[in-house]
Amino acid sequence: MKKTIEYVVLVGILILISSCKQVNEKDPNKDDVESSEAVAETTELVALANDSLSSTVPLEITVSTQPPTLESLQHDFDVFSWESFIALNWPANEDGTPNTNMVIGQDQNALTVWQSWKSSRDIFLKNGAQPKGWNEDVPPPVVCDHLNGSDFSKAQISLTQVGKTPNVLDESGEPFQTGPLIDQNGQYTRYEIFTNQSMFDYIVDNKLYNKKGQAIYNKDADFPSSSTSNDKVGAIMVKSAWVKMGGKYDSSKFHTTMALVYNNPEEQSGVKPACELVEVGLVGFHIAHKTEDEPQWVWSTFEHKDNVPTQNETADKDFYNFYDANSDMEVNEPPARPWNPAIPYTTPSQIERVIPITDDAKALNDKYHALLENAVPGSVWANYDLISTQWPTDATSVSDPTGKPAPSFLANTTLETYIQGTVEQTSSSCIACHNNASMTSGRFSDFTYLLQRAQTKK
Amino acid sequence: MNTMQQFTGLSAVLTGFDSSIIAPTIDQINVKEEYLAAWTEKTGTALATSILDKYATLASDSNNSSQMIGEQMLAATNGADFVLACRKLIFLWYSGAWPTLSADGTSTSSVLLSTKSYNAGLVWQVMQSHPMGSSNYRYGYWSEAPAPLNQYLGKSNS
Repeated sequence: MKKTIEYVVLVGILILISSCKQVNEKDPNKDDVESSEAVAETTELVALANDSLSSTVPLEITVSTQPPTLESLQHDFDVFSWESFIALNWPANEDGTPNTNMVIGQDQNALTVWQSWKSSRDIFLKNGAQPKGWNEDVPPPVVCDHLNGSDFSKAQISLTQVGKTPNVLDESGEPFQTGPLIDQNGQYTRYEIFTNQSMFDYIVDNKLYNKKGQAIYNKDADFPSSSTSNDKVGAIMVKSAWVKMGGKYDSSKFHTTMALVYNNPEEQSGVKPACELVEVGLVGFHIAHKTEDEPQWVWSTFEHKDNVPTQNETADKDFYNFYDANSDMEVNEPPARPWNPAIPYTTPSQIERVIPITDDAKALNDKYHALLENAVPGSVWANYDLISTQWPTDATSVSDPTGKPAPSFLANTTLETYIQGTVEQTSSSCIACHNNASMTSGRFSDFTYLLQRAQTKK
Repeated sequence: MNTMQQFTGLSAVLTGFDSSIIAPTIDQINVKEEYLAAWTEKTGTALATSILDKYATLASDSNNSSQMIGEQMLAATNGADFVLACRKLIFLWYSGAWPTLSADGTSTSSVLLSTKSYNAGLVWQVMQSHPMGSSNYRYGYWSEAPAPLNQYLGKSNS
């Protein structure tokens, strides 16, 4: 009964919000009094609607069950993941703060909070130069200059990578060069990594953006943690995966954005630099968040719900983003080399999920999908599933600096496509993998490989 | 005490590790389930039950220290099979493998239960190190001294 009332109220609120917006759009010159009344009303209504969907990033896990169990804590971490996903994908103001006059999903293509963060290419500049300030724009690659025109401002992010963080993986050894993911249009999936201001400031303040600065620093990195005691947000990283819209992809089902898709010659030998401005849709999303109680960070991963079927289960959807029921391609096999994102067409990858999503995570996905739908009917964000959350079960363990993560393995089919599974030291485990991350100085880099991208200062 | 509590309690006494290591409250590895099943099957249900019963009786007396319980569990008066089953349990926890004594009693061979049991072997903790081929330590860890042994045993406050 309570849920029904909430639903009715929410729908009503959204109709009112919509009405307010329409009024403003029809007559932007309304007098100030009426306008401020409308804003006040909208703010109040949005606050009500946001009762379950908040633009505030959670700072720590809320333990729901005493005494906690492995299962109950997994649930709590999964809730944390969903709350984080909603807060980070909240529509943003121009300065990157959440626009609390809007509800998540209200504008499918609105720039989200995390999309205003700094990308790795903004931080680790050629010649080890100091990055521009947090609020300063970084120019796109020169090869993109020919696109500079009226549409250029639509390109909110520059997607430069293909494959699993290859710039870093080139330095980490053969096992991680696992290959690109090809979409159903025969195009390479693209990736980008972002850091929030807390993480960015730490890198800049300690001059960790170049090799010389890291050498002088000469100690382990220790990014700020989110803390409920001082109400501060600590370091957060986001890695996103995108496919070009068009062809077999219906853009109405994705969170989309205009992006500069850049073929990076530093990534694969033989690749010629090229740049195009295209609409891309979000298919994969990692969040890594360092909190006071979880110094190994909390690793949340989301995917578009139509990405792939699960191994040994019926593939019952008409269309998958990375699977074709009529394909005779080997499942979960990377394309043959050479890998070159400039190739006009590559046979699409045939991907299945190896580790099923748990029933509890599925139920939680259903709950949040309903909340998102209630807030904005047809919300594009209801098309995204939490796959799972990896967290340290014994964060202070002296014998295991990974903190004994649970679950032991976690993979996103768009980001760890070819290393899914449960083989020790081989299959994807966020914490176990990132526990090996170091700076160019060899010192521990606090679970991020980004610092490996620092270049020599000249 | 249920069977698992008896089994982990006995295991802690016999191995010298704290029960927080043998059976953590939040146990994402849960190798104890695998060990209990294997030990019961290979020991035989009747003998396994009698061993656990004896442990439960000893543990219920608050005057008995862990040291005293361990000595009584390994006392020759319990019978050779009883003691051998306890010693095999110690071997299982330390190595992750099940030992088999040759017919003439002069040699042993052992078989790992699983990848999980290999990594969970307590011998790595005693070595203050990690399983060969599977390290959770960070790059450069070899340049620093490991934590004190007591912390690996789960007895940092002892």
